[in-house]
Amino acid sequence: MVALGPSEASACGTCGVGDPTLTIVGFEQPKAHRFRSSATVRHRNDRIGDPQVDQLQLSEQRLEIAGAYSPTDRVTISAMMPVVHRFVTAVNLAETDIWAPGDLELRFRGVIFRDREFAPRHLVSLIAGLEFPTSTIETDGNGVPLPLEFQSGTGSWDPIAGVSYAFFSDPWSLYVSSVTTFPTTGTADTQAGISSRQTVISQFQPWTFLGFQVGAEFRWDGPGFIQGERDPNTGGHITYGTFGLVAMPHEKLLMHFTAAVPLIQRLDGAHRESLAIIGGLIYEI
Amino acid sequence: MRSRVAIGALLVSLGLSAGCTRTTDGIEVDIAYQTPPTPQALRTDMGYRVWLDRALIVLGPVELIRCDNFARALWRLFTVSRAKAHTPTTPTSLGIPLVLDLLESGGIGFVVGTIRPPPGRYCGLRVIGAPADADAVGIKNNDEMLDRSVLLTGDIEDGESLVRTPFEVSIQDSLPNELVFTEPLVFDSPRLVNVSIQIDHMRWFDGIDFAQVAPGDAGSAAVQRRVAENIRDSMAAESQ
Repeated sequence: MVALGPSEASACGTCGVGDPTLTIVGFEQPKAHRFRSSATVRHRNDRIGDPQVDQLQLSEQRLEIAGAYSPTDRVTISAMMPVVHRFVTAVNLAETDIWAPGDLELRFRGVIFRDREFAPRHLVSLIAGLEFPTSTIETDGNGVPLPLEFQSGTGSWDPIAGVSYAFFSDPWSLYVSSVTTFPTTGTADTQAGISSRQTVISQFQPWTFLGFQVGAEFRWDGPGFIQGERDPNTGGHITYGTFGLVAMPHEKLLMHFTAAVPLIQRLDGAHRESLAIIGGLIYEI
Repeated sequence: MRSRVAIGALLVSLGLSAGCTRTTDGIEVDIAYQTPPTPQALRTDMGYRVWLDRALIVLGPVELIRCDNFARALWRLFTVSRAKAHTPTTPTSLGIPLVLDLLESGGIGFVVGTIRPPPGRYCGLRVIGAPADADAVGIKNNDEMLDRSVLLTGDIEDGESLVRTPFEVSIQDSLPNELVFTEPLVFDSPRLVNVSIQIDHMRWFDGIDFAQVAPGDAGSAAVQRRVAENIRDSMAAESQ
């Protein structure tokens, strides 16, 4: 992480692309040979099932190590590997503490439209990817797979497709994306539902080293199945309001922090999600 | 370049790492049936001897009852008369029905399963005898219990004349029963409790004067009612 990259990489990522906007991995402007690495920590709590009957409470922390490389000015290839810690408390106070790898994700982002070559203001990109079944399927004390929401991944080969639009007009920027995952049957005969995320993030960056974000994320999930049986607490949709900031304490280092607050929950069955907190570091190599 | 290789190697090694799971048990209640050994002949309180050829009972749902839900549980007790034995297993109940052969399993404890309830105070158990369904435990050798909750066959011997009369008691209705613990079970932290449901089938024919029953009518509705009452009275729950 300390060695410098090739000489064509600029001293700082934002300088190299001709736009001072601070962007997290996946939102950036591609530039040939730009290489970024990141470490992101996510925390969330979930409750599934009826209280005093069959409720499971989940506390999850994910560490996502990722790298993104742009071989050309229009293409970015990224890989992300999560390590997941889950603490599940059953209604009878039984506790399950799980450390497991999640599903490795590989993504390609290709810019299909930009209004100009250097420092474009409008970028439209297509996204394609694949999640690899690197996660382990966790079971309860009787060997029965835990509900899908409690797995560290789907354990299946899951194609990803989407589209994104980014608008840059210093000190403002806007990012809009729609990305859908299409899970296949997993290693323990699990079948997660199709999941589609719509994201809108606007950013105001009054200083070169600090920006503020506000946005929304809408997620729609199809029903999931475990060993052919519908998991009643999967499916539905949820909308989060997101509030974040991104800072550049060093020309090669970005820090970001986001709180995602559930605003509208229409998840199927007895399923409640709560505040999610995301924080991370990005290093320009 | 070295850092790119390092990041790639880190991603691969994370992907290849194995998961680690640690589980701690919560509140658990092991449920078992316990019956006394079955002698060759039972002696009733009215002096008759009952020689049993078959003695089968199907015990279906077993449910822990919260102290604050006792009134509701009692209401449900009277609204399940047509219940079948198999119901979904929940954190406070076991839904798996079991065909208990008292001639074979008398004197042997029979573990039914484990209930994993939420914290709270539990004052009793609800046990329902009900006709079995096709996947009841033990139904394979006793498929006549598919539409019966109790089947008793054998001979009744008059204590004076020593004359034996064959009989068959067959009960199709469900037999809901409420068993109150001597001390409530209070769960506020994980622990294991064993609950034994005692069934004393030695008393099942008490209170029946077979001399007043017409010959060949030992399976009459009146006898069945009395046997059903005796079955309910013969059960008790003990916790350890």
